[in-house]
Amino acid sequence: MDMNSFLPIQVPWTPQTATSAPKQAPSFFPYADNAGTVAAISGTDFAVLAADTRQSAGGNYLINTRYQPKMFKLSNGSVFGTSGFYGDATTFLNRINQRLEWYRHAHDKEMSTPALAQLISILLYSRRFFPYYVRVLLGGLDLEGRGVVYGYDSIGSYEACLSRAVGSGGKMIQPFLDNQIERKTQTGILRAPLTLDKTKTIMRDAFTSAAERDIYTGDYVEIFTITAQGVNVEKFDLRKD
Amino acid sequence: METELGLKPGEIGLGTTLVAVGFDGGVIIGADSRTSMGGAYVVNRVTDKLTYVSDRIYCCRSGSAADTQAVANLVTYYLQLYAIQHGEEPPVRVAAALFQELCYKNKEMLSAGIICAGWDKYAGGSVYGIPIGGSLHKLPYATAGSGSTYLYGYLDTAFRPNMTKEETIELVKTAIALAIGRDGSSGGCIRLAVITEDGVERHFIPGDQVPVLGI
Amino acid sequence: MVSRVNVPKGGFNFDNYQRNLILQQNGYSMPKATKTGTTITGMKFKNGVILGADTRATGEALVQDKNCPKIHRMAPNIFCCGAGTAADADKVTDMVASQLELHRLATGRESRVTTVLATLSQYLFRYQGHVAAALVLGGVDVDGPQLFSVAPHGSTDKLPYLSQGSGSLSAIAVFEERWRENMERDEAIELVKDSIKAGIFNDMGSGFNIDLVVIEKGRADFYRNIETPCPTIEKIGNYKFQPGTTAVLSESFRNFVTITEGDAMDIS
Repeated sequence: MDMNSFLPIQVPWTPQTATSAPKQAPSFFPYADNAGTVAAISGTDFAVLAADTRQSAGGNYLINTRYQPKMFKLSNGSVFGTSGFYGDATTFLNRINQRLEWYRHAHDKEMSTPALAQLISILLYSRRFFPYYVRVLLGGLDLEGRGVVYGYDSIGSYEACLSRAVGSGGKMIQPFLDNQIERKTQTGILRAPLTLDKTKTIMRDAFTSAAERDIYTGDYVEIFTITAQGVNVEKFDLRKD
Repeated sequence: METELGLKPGEIGLGTTLVAVGFDGGVIIGADSRTSMGGAYVVNRVTDKLTYVSDRIYCCRSGSAADTQAVANLVTYYLQLYAIQHGEEPPVRVAAALFQELCYKNKEMLSAGIICAGWDKYAGGSVYGIPIGGSLHKLPYATAGSGSTYLYGYLDTAFRPNMTKEETIELVKTAIALAIGRDGSSGGCIRLAVITEDGVERHFIPGDQVPVLGI
Repeated sequence: MVSRVNVPKGGFNFDNYQRNLILQQNGYSMPKATKTGTTITGMKFKNGVILGADTRATGEALVQDKNCPKIHRMAPNIFCCGAGTAADADKVTDMVASQLELHRLATGRESRVTTVLATLSQYLFRYQGHVAAALVLGGVDVDGPQLFSVAPHGSTDKLPYLSQGSGSLSAIAVFEERWRENMERDEAIELVKDSIKAGIFNDMGSGFNIDLVVIEKGRADFYRNIETPCPTIEKIGNYKFQPGTTAVLSESFRNFVTITEGDAMDIS
């Protein structure tokens, strides 16, 4: 018997060291990614926001909790959703709420959704070089009662949009929303505005599908609807594996 | 401890306590039974680290589980060949020399700390230590693995030449219990083997019967 | 005449190694392998061995395969669950299974579990963990029921119950709680199913269905998708597109057969 057949092959490459820089002490990295997905759709006189409720330790395969809401009601006319680092999300939420309270004391009224959208942008940009590790969506009604959705990057660039999906399953949901809501490439179809019911159906199915393929999305989906009557919340099952 | 042994990422290590003591008429070897990965997860809590290499020779393995198993298998094979070619059981020093050669020649690729012990008709009971690097030491008693740091002082004090079998069993058992108590990478049960001219006698002390010593 | 053709000798090909190193240094990342972020388990019971596996295969956060078979047939009496890099686990089990088939044809004897164990562990050891397969090996042969695990670096463990993969911690907890010696077939099947379920629900790398194989003396029963603990949720909307939804910008037809004019077919 040949002894060499039992001994390690002298592997001609060492992937860990050949490609990476010399080993150094772990650098300062104060972020975690708790993953999860948030999506929003604006309608004629309503806005719908949805998010799954799974919170995970991100990067590994551990679930922190199956129910931790990612969306927060900021006023009767606007709801705010986040994904990314949950620690930053709560801190960021506190800062928004503080500014809203100051606004109420100063002006004796609720801040409008477009003004809130601008405020969020300013707060995000204030941390331009040490950002809040969050992807944010804002949905609500504008001063004329029309549904609006605002999407952001993590340092404050923002725009109003018909639909937006962010987070771990965002890349899967966004094309589906584009297809079902904007219907840009479809011809010979009836282009009636989406009803609230149809919008909620699309949202639920979007999350049901995303949970099939994104391991960080699952457990439950919460759907917030903002209408002239106020904010309504519903919760539905997603797969739990 | 495991980083000192130079394990590769994700490799399973034997953060271990190994003890071998020679006595009148043979040797007694002992080990804990914990195999862990990444210093946190116990892969196997009832591991048998006392590994057969020939009828009267065993080795105790510490370091990388994969490396030590491969080396032990290879030595087992060579000793079988020796037994056939020479028409007699191999002496312990031959087994130890084989371990030493494999560990020295492949020292860049292996992380293996081995104790080789047994009985033969030429030298009686003997104990050899082959630490990482591949040197060979004939010793009256030996200890290895991450738990050994806690044992040198104790063994230096408690060991006497020509102890009886019962005294030696007690010594080895106590030593491993002490190391289990202090070393996080050692634990589980205590496994002992008494190797004499008559053969190999195995002892097993379950986890709930391991003596709790000290405070 | 000396052949000028380079006949592949088999084994791995390292031709692109230097090129890929330079690409990586220039900031190109290498493609990611599919990992079977997995729960695989095995246990001994009264009459034999049971192996279990989930069916999710992932690439990073994305599910690559919802019903990936992870239990491999090595021999009629020996099965092996694979975790780690899917390609490595599949290839190494296939290679050994083929060697065993030839060995059986040459010797006319039933394959032995220890043969499989030695072959697998020696192969994995040679590749020093670069062939990243973690295996649970079980079977019944002349020595009776046997169960082993093989780690990617080639170390082996012999245990009455064990688990591997990212869900192994969840799964082993179930065994530590409920495993007993000499369990009956039915309760053993339930226990293995529950161990896989623990991985499916608590480990995000594991999911979808449960596969199971029960190996006893002279027989092996393979149950593909014995349970679907987490059924797919039905969509509530209808997403069928009407014909013509996609605009036709241009059309072109091409005949792949030459039509030769002839007498009309008699269709009377």
